[in-house]
Amino acid sequence: MIRIVTLATYDEGDITHLSKTLYRSFGVGTEHLGDRALPKKAERSDGRFDAIKLLGDAPPVRAYSDDKVLYITDRELAIPKGPLGEPPAWGYAEQGGDRALISTFRFKPRGVTEASIEIYRRRLARESIHFIGHLWDLHHCYDARCAMHPSWSPSLPDDPEFELDAFCRDRSERRVRLAKT
Amino acid sequence: MVTVGAVRTLGKRERADKQEEASSPVGNIASSADLKTGDRVVYPKQGVYRVTGLEQKDIAGQRLEFVKMTREEDGASVLVPLGKVATIGLRRVATAGDIEGVFHYLGATYGDPELDWKVRHRDNVERLIAGGVLGVAEVVKGLHSLSRLRPLPAKERELYDSSRHLLVNEISVALGVPDVIAEDYVDFALMPPAGVKLPLKTPPTPVELKGPPWKRKKPIVAEDDDLGLAELGIDLSALEGAAEGAAGSEESEEGEGAEGAAPASEEGDEEGEALPAKVVEKVPVEKVPVEKVPVVKAPVVKALAPRKAPPPPPRKPAAKAAPVKKPAPKPTAKPAAKSAPKKKGPPAKKPAPSRAAPPKKGAKPAKGKKK
Repeated sequence: MIRIVTLATYDEGDITHLSKTLYRSFGVGTEHLGDRALPKKAERSDGRFDAIKLLGDAPPVRAYSDDKVLYITDRELAIPKGPLGEPPAWGYAEQGGDRALISTFRFKPRGVTEASIEIYRRRLARESIHFIGHLWDLHHCYDARCAMHPSWSPSLPDDPEFELDAFCRDRSERRVRLAKT
Repeated sequence: MVTVGAVRTLGKRERADKQEEASSPVGNIASSADLKTGDRVVYPKQGVYRVTGLEQKDIAGQRLEFVKMTREEDGASVLVPLGKVATIGLRRVATAGDIEGVFHYLGATYGDPELDWKVRHRDNVERLIAGGVLGVAEVVKGLHSLSRLRPLPAKERELYDSSRHLLVNEISVALGVPDVIAEDYVDFALMPPAGVKLPLKTPPTPVELKGPPWKRKKPIVAEDDDLGLAELGIDLSALEGAAEGAAGSEESEEGEGAEGAAPASEEGDEEGEALPAKVVEKVPVEKVPVEKVPVVKAPVVKALAPRKAPPPPPRKPAAKAAPVKKPAPKPTAKPAAKSAPKKKGPPAKKPAPSRAAPPKKGAKPAKGKKK
């Protein structure tokens, strides 16, 4: 089961759309557990939130074995700087683990038109699938049409697809089938 | 019994030493004496393991000693006989300095990916086993750049995914960051976001493997070259011209050849880079009048795609012959004209005249039948 926890206030329609999309993508039940307080300890001096620390300090929720918990925040995230610089952080997940975090900070503004809301929802769904995919032990995919393609890739269109490609879908399904519960 | 084991161990160690001389990846573990409990090692194609100790077991009446290792990722344990430690390609986990080199390698522009899948597959497998962390990075980079040309076949997709997994795992262990972050670093180097310029340095040189694929590579290309040139028949005169030119000035040819190679590679940049030295040698034909230079270019392109090269010569005459025959049977003229633009398919052309021929005899009866 996938449990969604929001660390900010989100439109109910967006979350409902996300739940349906996640269910369709992974074939696993999805539910929204409600809003929780953002752990302030993870905030850095530059105003951004340390993604690893934020996920570590995120308020615990009741979950069973093999459940996946997805936290959604609207704050800017930061990850440790690598040898070639700091990649833009759209979220963070424990590879093969059970908790993931995404940030809507880098999304295009939700707006009020149907088109902009649709784009916002699609992006929300894509990033959620991407980081939950990491929980199913998926790696990044070279196919720009797959949701596992890196979120900052220059080959990613403005309104990217939010589905997994055949290879990633097979792997995630295998993982889901192997789950104990 | 212990003595026998020791003798065997020494023999295998010697063999292992010889193997290491052939390929010398950094941090390779030469013998079991180098291992201590708690050491982190990389088992080729398996991942990062931690040595948990020595274990003795009675197998087939012999008491054998094993090194016990546990994979950090999932806790799977492995027992390696002491004598085999040197031969399985165990190596130390890469240092932070090595990993930095890997990122500079990943971020650097990549040449042509190997297009022959057999050679590519052998190379990749060998690199994963004996190439060290840079070898794994080579496989990831090579397959990634190939995936930009066309989607990878299923087996290579699997290989790409598993080698990426190994690389990410080793980087995360070496740098002490979670796997997801390590993967972000890898992809940040492979496909940096728009507007970001990576601070790249000269990448380290990968370990040169001396396996059979490397030896086979060159002869294959050379054969293709020869075939392509011979079938065209145009190069015979060019070669004569080259021979005359060689008599004039042998030294200047090399320089000219290098100059001549540049325009040839302009036409097919991607393919031109993969050209062997032999192609460059043939370009000196520049001494022949300028008109013949483009003639030399054609075989260069065809030599890269030898299978496509042979069919064209027969196609053109067939295409010209077809319209000559077509005017005779009036009813078939229109369909023939429609098929004329589709010059690409040689088999489609050959049947066309054969169809056109019988209608000469059979066309009238056919009409009669219809009537």
